[in-house]
Amino acid sequence: MTQRTSVWSLILAVLLGLGGVIVLARWMEARPKDTVVAYHEEPLYLNGKTAKRLSLAFNGLGADWYWMRSLQYVGRKLVNNQDSQGGQHDLDDLGALDLRLLPSLLQVATTLDPQFLAPYEYGAMILPTFNPDEAIALLQYGIEQNPSEWRLYQHLGYIYWQRRDYSKASEMYGVGAKLPGAPKWMAEMSARTAAEGGSRRAAREMYQHLYEESDDDQVKQVLERRLMQVDSFEERDRIRRALAAYIAAVGHCPASWRDVAPLLEKLQLRLDPTSREPLDPSDAPYVLIQEKCEVDLSMRSRVPYK
Amino acid sequence: MAVFSVTKTIACNTFREAVRDRVLYNLLLFALLLIGGAIFLGELSGGQEEKIIVDLGLSASLLFGVFIAIFVGVGLVHKEIERRTLYAILSKPVGRGQFLLGKYLGLCLTLLVNVLIMGAGVSLAIAYVSSGWNPLMIRIWPALLLIYLELAIITGVALLFSSFSTPTLSALLTFLVFIIGHLSADLKSFATSLGGVAARWIFTGLYYLLPNLSHYAFITPSAHGRIPDATTLFFAVLYAALYITVLLSAATLIFRQRNFK
Repeated sequence: MTQRTSVWSLILAVLLGLGGVIVLARWMEARPKDTVVAYHEEPLYLNGKTAKRLSLAFNGLGADWYWMRSLQYVGRKLVNNQDSQGGQHDLDDLGALDLRLLPSLLQVATTLDPQFLAPYEYGAMILPTFNPDEAIALLQYGIEQNPSEWRLYQHLGYIYWQRRDYSKASEMYGVGAKLPGAPKWMAEMSARTAAEGGSRRAAREMYQHLYEESDDDQVKQVLERRLMQVDSFEERDRIRRALAAYIAAVGHCPASWRDVAPLLEKLQLRLDPTSREPLDPSDAPYVLIQEKCEVDLSMRSRVPYK
Repeated sequence: MAVFSVTKTIACNTFREAVRDRVLYNLLLFALLLIGGAIFLGELSGGQEEKIIVDLGLSASLLFGVFIAIFVGVGLVHKEIERRTLYAILSKPVGRGQFLLGKYLGLCLTLLVNVLIMGAGVSLAIAYVSSGWNPLMIRIWPALLLIYLELAIITGVALLFSSFSTPTLSALLTFLVFIIGHLSADLKSFATSLGGVAARWIFTGLYYLLPNLSHYAFITPSAHGRIPDATTLFFAVLYAALYITVLLSAATLIFRQRNFK
């Protein structure tokens, strides 16, 4: 065998080998996965303290790694759920996704870098829907490590508010309000949650302030939708008033939105220019339920249902 | 004056040799890491690009620096003996202590250039992800100073081991000192938790004997824009200066006793 032939046969071996690897990889991906393997989730090998000890001087980088793993973990669960069941989930309603590793991932990230505020904020938004105790523990640890961070009191107050524990929520806003750099509205929120608890005004202010303070796009999206929900609640109240006025005048429920369109316009609701249907904050038309003469969100709506 | 001139010449030659040995090629890998990080982290970090760039950049500066300090440091003396150039040098009016000091300073200069270029790279990467000026670009420099001091200590440790041991063993021992140096707090708490007086003395002794590198770990706070106060910096510089003096003196002491015949 000449040297030239030997070189060509090696090149051929590399190319054929690579081709084989690609074909094999595709075949392996296409194979149905063993369900036990596919759904089995191993718990984290390291707890926060051990991870911190092992990370030497690189604990910040370790915290970033666990932070990104947390984001990927939630993202992967969302994508898998949408692929397998076609389900759509809001980031603040992830109870069905079985995010059992998320509290541990966030706990390791914050133990490695206790001053890293993003995991606390993310935990305050996501954990309460399926594990409020872990959410509170995470935020309490954050406050212990960063006692002068008023934002952490804001997030803890939000968690208590979601649990309808308005006195505790008010207390958290009150303590946070006294910290240096805390904005004026923290004290106002403290008073509002104590006096009005679960009112829409309190909810709107809560979401609005969280939205303004957040740097995280995902968190901002969640809050945007929550703000749309509060707007939608108010719009639906106005639509109900219009429907009641129509029934009082005519004696029966309107056959379509067109019949009540002048009343809806009077109440300053946005209507679709052609169909005359009232539009919700996500620009989807509201649905008229004839049987109950009631208004509801359409399937197309991006406004959270609950 | 001649003493300084000799040391300076050896240091400059060591630096030139490191450059010729392509030690600074690690900067290329570092640049790729930062560029990759700056481009892709936006998608993965949930709005934390700046913090992650600082963590990634400064951690890489420390890690690459430690590898250079260890692998170049342990070869500083050994290469000269193996190539027999040491005999030529020592036959001239050059003291063994001067030779070691020159070698040490030469590698420290290499590490300084390395850390400065890496620091500038991190600052530029921060400017890229922030689309302009960001105070972090300046605030990372005290942490880089602490990284450099840590590297200077590690280089001293590598030089000490290489003055009496083989390069492989020296590299291993230096790496262990780097790891233990960051676990000093554990060493101390371990010593206090021990029942036996002798064991307690041994571990307390080790705690004070080995370099406490946790004083130089400021990467994580620096990623949050924090800077160490002047007292912390002063004591860190003082500790490094004292520790390096001890290391170089011990290395010189051992090196003087060695018989190269």
